[in-house]
Amino acid sequence: MAVIIALAGNPNSGKTTLFNALTGSNQYVGNWPGVTVEQKGGKLKGQSDVEIMDLPGIYSLSPYTLEEVVARKYLVEERPDAILNIVDGTNLERNLYLSTQLLELGIPVVLAINMMDLVKKNGDEINISKLSKELGCEVVEISALKGTGIKEATDAVVKAAKSGQSQRIVHKFDKTVESALEEIEGMLTGVKEDQKRYFAIKLFEGDEKISEQLKSMPDVSTVVKRVEDAMDDDAESIITNERYTYIASLMSKCYKKVNKGLTVSDRIDRIVTNRILALPIFVVIMFIVYYIAVSTIGTVVTDWTNDVLFGEWIQGGAESLLESVGASDWVISLVVDGILGGIAAPIGFAPQMAIVFFFLSILEDCGYMARVAFIMDRIFRRFGLSGRSFIPFLISSGCGVPGIMSTRTIENEKDRRMTMMTTCSIPCGAKLPVIALIAGYLLDGAWWLAPVMYFVGIAVVVISCIILKKMRAFAGDPAPFVIELPQYHVPSIKGVLMHVWERVWAFLKKAGTILFLCCVVMWFLASFGFSDGAFGLVETEDSLLRYIGGAIAWIFVPLGFGTWQAVASSLSGFVTKEGILSTMGVLAGLGEVEEYELSMHDQFAAFFPTGIAAVSFLIFNLFDSPCLAALSTMAKEIGGRKKFWFAVLFQNVSAYCLALVVYQIGGLILGEVAFGVGTVAAVIVLAGILYLLFRPDPNKKASNIAANAKQAA
Amino acid sequence: MMALALMSVGEKRKVASIHGKDEVVRHLQDMGFAPGAEVEVVGGNAGGMILLVKGTRIALDRGLASKILVA
Repeated sequence: MAVIIALAGNPNSGKTTLFNALTGSNQYVGNWPGVTVEQKGGKLKGQSDVEIMDLPGIYSLSPYTLEEVVARKYLVEERPDAILNIVDGTNLERNLYLSTQLLELGIPVVLAINMMDLVKKNGDEINISKLSKELGCEVVEISALKGTGIKEATDAVVKAAKSGQSQRIVHKFDKTVESALEEIEGMLTGVKEDQKRYFAIKLFEGDEKISEQLKSMPDVSTVVKRVEDAMDDDAESIITNERYTYIASLMSKCYKKVNKGLTVSDRIDRIVTNRILALPIFVVIMFIVYYIAVSTIGTVVTDWTNDVLFGEWIQGGAESLLESVGASDWVISLVVDGILGGIAAPIGFAPQMAIVFFFLSILEDCGYMARVAFIMDRIFRRFGLSGRSFIPFLISSGCGVPGIMSTRTIENEKDRRMTMMTTCSIPCGAKLPVIALIAGYLLDGAWWLAPVMYFVGIAVVVISCIILKKMRAFAGDPAPFVIELPQYHVPSIKGVLMHVWERVWAFLKKAGTILFLCCVVMWFLASFGFSDGAFGLVETEDSLLRYIGGAIAWIFVPLGFGTWQAVASSLSGFVTKEGILSTMGVLAGLGEVEEYELSMHDQFAAFFPTGIAAVSFLIFNLFDSPCLAALSTMAKEIGGRKKFWFAVLFQNVSAYCLALVVYQIGGLILGEVAFGVGTVAAVIVLAGILYLLFRPDPNKKASNIAANAKQAA
Repeated sequence: MMALALMSVGEKRKVASIHGKDEVVRHLQDMGFAPGAEVEVVGGNAGGMILLVKGTRIALDRGLASKILVA
């Protein structure tokens, strides 16, 4: 008989680590609350009839954020055959709060107390058999990370799932509450016997979303009112208090804690969340990450990949091989210049990307992430977001797709949408090569351009948010900030490397599919065209791409890069950001395969008439709408077609305006651009941006007027 | 009774009541800030505080911390 087992527990209690151990999969694990935002299924290793479901972490069955809604919906509506409740043993009291609720669902529960190795190391003791008796379910000790006790836990939960029995409810509330619950249970119609208690409690608490799951809603107000009056508290607090009192009694019976002073985590927190040092520490960390990725190690590996691996071995080898078998010119051109030349450029940057991902996943895995969210809260609040939004921004510096997904942990819908719209302004791994390329072209490979662009990205986010916040659609205070700070731990080498590999592999796969296709199309468009009235292989100057690029180039003339080559490169950037580099490679490398970078440098003079035009090109391509993959994720997550198109429009218009201002005004200052209509337009745009930025918040005014009117009345 | 936001680092007190929007109050209770629970301030900066409650470290912004009353 096939059964489904759900893994449920508090955020950061180790569900995904256990899921990976049980199913042999490689789901990403991080040390901050909210890593898992979707449910994920997998077959139990060695038992193909058992399916394991990994759920996002929840604090209770009353959801607060979107990913918590996912978990509750699954548990209540899909009803797995059994629940394996992962409990963080180092934090037993708070974790058991959820357990008391899971036990009321009627689904058989097995409690797995995780991190037992740490509990024992602290010298604490948990009386397992007593806890099991008091809770009325089986309790096992495990360490998901070390792999101990997992077999026992699995056996117990599979047995429970296959037994088909419903969970026995041992815990009773106070007599007054208990009699009210019984009364409500009696009013329920069309509810299965073993689910009655859950629905009765939820009705008693006045849960807003419960009506979606019930066919008929009995009127329980008089029963609730009676208990509230008798106990002088609101129904929800009564239940919460009852649960905590019950857990307190369990703790005194089953748990012995050795009290220790400051933990190592506290000592680290003293430094990294310090009033004065916190921000400088963060800035230094980010600079180091980019410095290492772009300069030192990054350059060495990237140069080798570009010059030796691709330049000499692969492209050179392919050319002589094709020549020796007598392939026609256009085949050689397609393979060597079009495909290999196009893919080489972005793949050459894979090592740099790997280094960025390596450091980011160390930051995520050690527990620093939640602290930075806390440090950033005060700053983010100034421009209308809470510190919660920081996590998506940091993840987006790796890749925008998981960045957008992680906005699910943001509780406020407006904050969430604003974060989604702006998060792709933080340069992602795929944009790094474009930055490096421009740095190489203009600044002789200056290492600081990447971190500077990173901070420009942050500035773009800040400015966008301030402007958006003053629009009616985004008005209102950001949600209050609460986040659990997990204990620091040394990141697992295996986990970090696995994450890096997964990301790099995804990138290589993309290089083999979308990017490959993009290269072939771009090569075709750049190599074929009409010359002397006949269609065929032509010089780039007569190619189709020249005409396509040329036809829309006028749009980009005010930005300084109105050349068809630069326009064509930007166009492929809308598909994937790596495509920008591929297309530049194809266009720059046409007809010659020599020393890679030098040949490109000369060709780029044709792309960018002036240096400031190259900067404007970079700005536009960093801050316009993200790649197709990120766009489709945003379309799914943002909740509505109108909101989606507004976001896309906003991103492109703001990128265009920014590039315009940088090119016209920057160029004027540098003496590269003459004063003209463009300058006037740029000044008007700049004034417009400054107005939107500094105008008084019209929403605040409206609410003040309303408040004054109320006072007057 | 006083607001939690006014506590200083190292101070320990018990939660008396929480005010604010229903769902925020509920979420705080679910995370351990139930009436009667002991809270200790372990750190903080101008914008927020780090609290130890029911064995977990939780960071809050000061606005929220002023809605939790302690005794």
